[in-house]
Amino acid sequence: MDSEYAIETEDLTKVYVSRWKRREVRAIDGVSLRVRRGAIFGLLGPNGAGKTTFVKTLLSAVRPTHGTALIFGRDASQPEARRPIGYLPENHRFPTYFTGAGMLDFYAALSGLDAARRRKLIPEHLELVGLSEWASMRIGKYSKGMLQRLGLAQALIHSPQILILDEPTDGVDPVGRRQIRDILGRFEERGVTIFINSHLLAEVETLCREVAILDKGKVALTGKMQDVTAGKGYRLTVAQPPDALAEELRGRATSMAVRDGLVDFQFSSRELVNGALDLLRAQHCEIEALAPTTSTLEEVFVRTVQK
Amino acid sequence: MVTLALIRDTFREALARKIFWVLVGLSTLMILFFLFLLQIDIVAGGVATVSRFGGTVRTVEATQVVSGVYGAVATFLYTFGMFLAVFASSGLVPSVLEPGRIELLLSKPLSRTHLLLGRFAGNILVVFANSAYLVLGVWTILGLKTGIWSPVFLVAIATTTFIFAVLLSVVVLVGVWLESAAAATMISVALMIMSPILAQTSMSMRLLSSEWSRNVWRTLYYALPKVYELGKMTLDAIQSHTFNGYMPIWTSALFGIAMLGAALAIFSRRDF
Repeated sequence: MDSEYAIETEDLTKVYVSRWKRREVRAIDGVSLRVRRGAIFGLLGPNGAGKTTFVKTLLSAVRPTHGTALIFGRDASQPEARRPIGYLPENHRFPTYFTGAGMLDFYAALSGLDAARRRKLIPEHLELVGLSEWASMRIGKYSKGMLQRLGLAQALIHSPQILILDEPTDGVDPVGRRQIRDILGRFEERGVTIFINSHLLAEVETLCREVAILDKGKVALTGKMQDVTAGKGYRLTVAQPPDALAEELRGRATSMAVRDGLVDFQFSSRELVNGALDLLRAQHCEIEALAPTTSTLEEVFVRTVQK
Repeated sequence: MVTLALIRDTFREALARKIFWVLVGLSTLMILFFLFLLQIDIVAGGVATVSRFGGTVRTVEATQVVSGVYGAVATFLYTFGMFLAVFASSGLVPSVLEPGRIELLLSKPLSRTHLLLGRFAGNILVVFANSAYLVLGVWTILGLKTGIWSPVFLVAIATTTFIFAVLLSVVVLVGVWLESAAAATMISVALMIMSPILAQTSMSMRLLSSEWSRNVWRTLYYALPKVYELGKMTLDAIQSHTFNGYMPIWTSALFGIAMLGAALAIFSRRDF
């Protein structure tokens, strides 16, 4: 547990070979990624980009063809390396013969918690995810959202140092999503590393401080959220500019919008917005606001995977 | 603690399957039959009057009656009981390998060998518990009714569990290899059916014309588990207290170890 990185992969590659045709598919191809201890990290990518394979190599459910995967500096293939992991799989299939409390008891025991600690922690975690009243109900009767919350409790019960969550809010209603976000926020404050694999870009944008986009098995983009979404341009808001000047600026701007007597101009570079400011000041126009604008994560995502 | 959790989970899953309750139900019926319906009156000198459903059937030596009942129970365990146990167990390995379940199990700090052996042990204990329930139940009832307490009958618990463990190793291998409960059942049952046929070695050696076919027969005979002979050995031990060699035990054990070893090797290399 000495490494400054919770997850560290180097040239991680997985090649699947079809049994009969001997055709090769490179699910992930030389992925080198570092997730700092305590970070909230989002992994994005279109379908078939290799996200799930990447997550499975971290859990040793998939053996890499080449490269290394380390969890807190330990080889992920060693069982002990997985002790600090709390994992919520996508499309989980929890055995329906369990009750909610029984399921937590089983997975907590596999994580190494003794009976006394399990007895203490199970009610606490059922409370945390709002399922106390359903503790003794068979989970075959749970809704998808309830199963998701129970799955989250399962991932949290042994106080993991890293949470790997595959589509954590899948099937959860907006209130439940908010609740999950709040829970994750609390774990972030405790210094737990959170690694989220999700299709929900808005969710990732809200939750994550760092992000990587996988495309065709390779890392197409990685960085801090504020950096990857920055640099789209500037929005200049002007109070009632003369028509001729407005037309002039419209020609230089990428867009113009009029609202409540104010006009918004969107400029793509610092040079253009400075030129516009010079023109406006020369004609003594009132400038209401000037702010850098950012891309949404969705825009970044689409740009990245369409390159 | 982890092993115990895996065993308990296997027990829970087994109990959630109706076929195990069929096995338990049949065992209970048998015990109730001996408890309430079979009247045994011991007369001086060890002669018993045996009657079913109230009507007298015949008068025989008490030891003969007890030995006959033991034999019937053991035969039930080796045939119908074993079939039911294999049917009920065949899905217990493929179910663990289902997507969405196996990844979560593999994310826990335990080795794949530990996971599979825990499942294997749990499954064996389920069948051990059921055969112990039947054998101990019948043994106690007959002991109380006749005063004859023959501990050799209890060997049936160990031999039934042993035969099941050998067949379960095949179920596990097919389960991790093909992930098919149906295939696991078919192959295990095929081995059970082949066992009494292959056991006719001396006759087949006379009937087979070529040395090559005799060698194939001998290879199959020694390589495959000897379910029939193990059952027969137990019956002989119970009824006549004789025991003809240990070859069926150790060859079957070797077969089971080889199958389980192959299952562990496949399981440890697989991607999920």
